[in-house]
Amino acid sequence: MLLSISDLTKVYRGGTRANDGVSLSVEEGQVFGLLGHNGAGKTTLVSQVVGLLRPTSGAIAIDGRDAVADPGYARRVCSIQPQAQVPITGVTPRQAIDLVGRLRGAPRSLVRRRMDRFVEALQIGEWLDVDGERISSGVKRLTSFCMATVSPGRVVILDEPTNDVDPVRRRLLWTQVRAVADEGSAVLLVTHNVLEAERAVDRLAILDHGRVIAEGTPAELKTGLADELRLELVLEPGVELGAAEVPAFARRTTTAGNRLIATVAPDDAGAAVRWAGDLRIANRIEEYSLVPATLEDVYVQLVGRADADATAAAANATDSAAREGDDVRAA
Amino acid sequence: MSALRSYGLLIRWQALRYKWMLPMTMVVQALFALGIVAGYPLLFPEIDRTTILFLATGAPAISLIMMGLVAVPQVVAQGKSEGSVEYIRSLPIPRLAFLAADLSVWTAIVLPGVVFAVAIGALRFGLPLSVSPLVVPAFVLVALTASCVGYALASVAPPMVSGIVSQVLIVFVLMFSPLSFPAERLPDWLRAIHSVLPIQAMGETIRGSLATTSFPLSSGAFLLLGAWCAGSLVLALAALNRRA
Ligand SMILES: Nc1ncnc2c1ncn2[C@@H]1O[C@H](COP(=O)(O)OP(=O)(O)OP(=O)(O)O)[C@@H](O)[C@H]1O
Ligand SMILES: [Mg+2]
Repeated sequence: MLLSISDLTKVYRGGTRANDGVSLSVEEGQVFGLLGHNGAGKTTLVSQVVGLLRPTSGAIAIDGRDAVADPGYARRVCSIQPQAQVPITGVTPRQAIDLVGRLRGAPRSLVRRRMDRFVEALQIGEWLDVDGERISSGVKRLTSFCMATVSPGRVVILDEPTNDVDPVRRRLLWTQVRAVADEGSAVLLVTHNVLEAERAVDRLAILDHGRVIAEGTPAELKTGLADELRLELVLEPGVELGAAEVPAFARRTTTAGNRLIATVAPDDAGAAVRWAGDLRIANRIEEYSLVPATLEDVYVQLVGRADADATAAAANATDSAAREGDDVRAA
Repeated sequence: MSALRSYGLLIRWQALRYKWMLPMTMVVQALFALGIVAGYPLLFPEIDRTTILFLATGAPAISLIMMGLVAVPQVVAQGKSEGSVEYIRSLPIPRLAFLAADLSVWTAIVLPGVVFAVAIGALRFGLPLSVSPLVVPAFVLVALTASCVGYALASVAPPMVSGIVSQVLIVFVLMFSPLSFPAERLPDWLRAIHSVLPIQAMGETIRGSLATTSFPLSSGAFLLLGAWCAGSLVLALAALNRRA
């Protein structure tokens, strides 16, 4: 394994446990996706890999060498596209990409060649010589991607590379992410874009409150849901569906805005379509869809379950605290 | 990757980033010098030759110190909050090369405006300056030390704190430092403080190199500045190396 993280824990000053016993490893040529809610600890994790943060405990090895003890080594072998916009004030994308490539030790001609390649592939040529203050967020983000990959480390870390990027260029970007891995780097990719990540990653881990709650290939993670369907209803404005109105076959319902999403077993597909059709005729929903479950459903389900567990644990703790209180009073 | 090559590339990068600052700092420094040279005589209508010499040679010192202690920390703090320092930290660059490049660029930005300050003073009062051969190293040392101290301040302290300290320093430098007046006018305790702070030494070094016939150029001041310079470098380097 090129990158191997074991039992990594990071507690910030102030007590936030941002990573809690995280273990994962990434091979050369692999794209490893890291998913998780806001504040799950993804950025904290990758910052430790490149030596910007010191782990509270645990180990990070890159090519068998201790990266925690030697942050200088970590910086040489890792290149990172940070989640925060790279400030390129005063310089053009061409200057920024060229400077970073050469600062990472690549010869000028190679830097130029790779820059041309990425710039063409991501279609950002028209902004290449525009001053940093005058280019859009999406183009800045793509520039930042080029800065991380023009002279790539053996480990390439991309923290939300698709933020602000339009759908067409997102596709181009995923192709380039894949290409960087195919050239031999281990790519650690942080993203919220679960649906698109499903096609781009070889393996992935889901981080929840600092802990890995699932890890595997996209197919492995979906096995539990392999034959399930997802029913999505778009409610008419102002309409609400009470829990009592939702039939029993619609399981694990979640609502987001005017959408209600539920999982349905294949056997109940007919009933689901009839129910949705009736709602449609009654003008209570605008439209519905029934499709095979995706990685996003797995994600929502896993995170939902982890939340429920956490709530239950908290409730138990309160219960026992209350009971202890009773005991004390009884005594 | 050699440190020297990193240094060269970083100089290019920082020079590009700060290029808009060169004309601006020159204007600010010129205005500053004008303010001191034209303003102080309003406070003291009965002006003698020594006072005039102090004003004319104090103006460039004050403008260098203000740039180093106020402008540098502001820009460095801004770089810290917008994440460019963090980004540089993630690159495989020797820390010292980065610091050296940044400070070289700062010194280069700050120095040209000082020439204005000297010229304005000399023109206003028609002073016959007697310039020492050491004037270039003297000015570079003062500019470098001021930038180093400002840099260390912004590296070590959180942006809010370094901002406030900068504000306090403005008042302290302008009102309570023997730059436009002789140190003998200060109370003993303040003189004792100034004998270890770099501000008075900066003033003396500038004065001594511009008006050799009236003021001595002391090696003690050079040494004190060297010590402050080195100390600040070590602090800034440690801050750059720190992993939270
Ligand atoms: N410098 C810091 N000091 C203290 N706590 C921090 C610091 N940085 C992050 N945290 C906390 O650590 C936790 C994890 O933050 P982190 O930035 O790693 O999350 P993330 O998974 O990257 O989130 P997002 O998807 O929003 O980028 C959060 O609770 C956050 O508030
Ligand atoms: Mg993050």
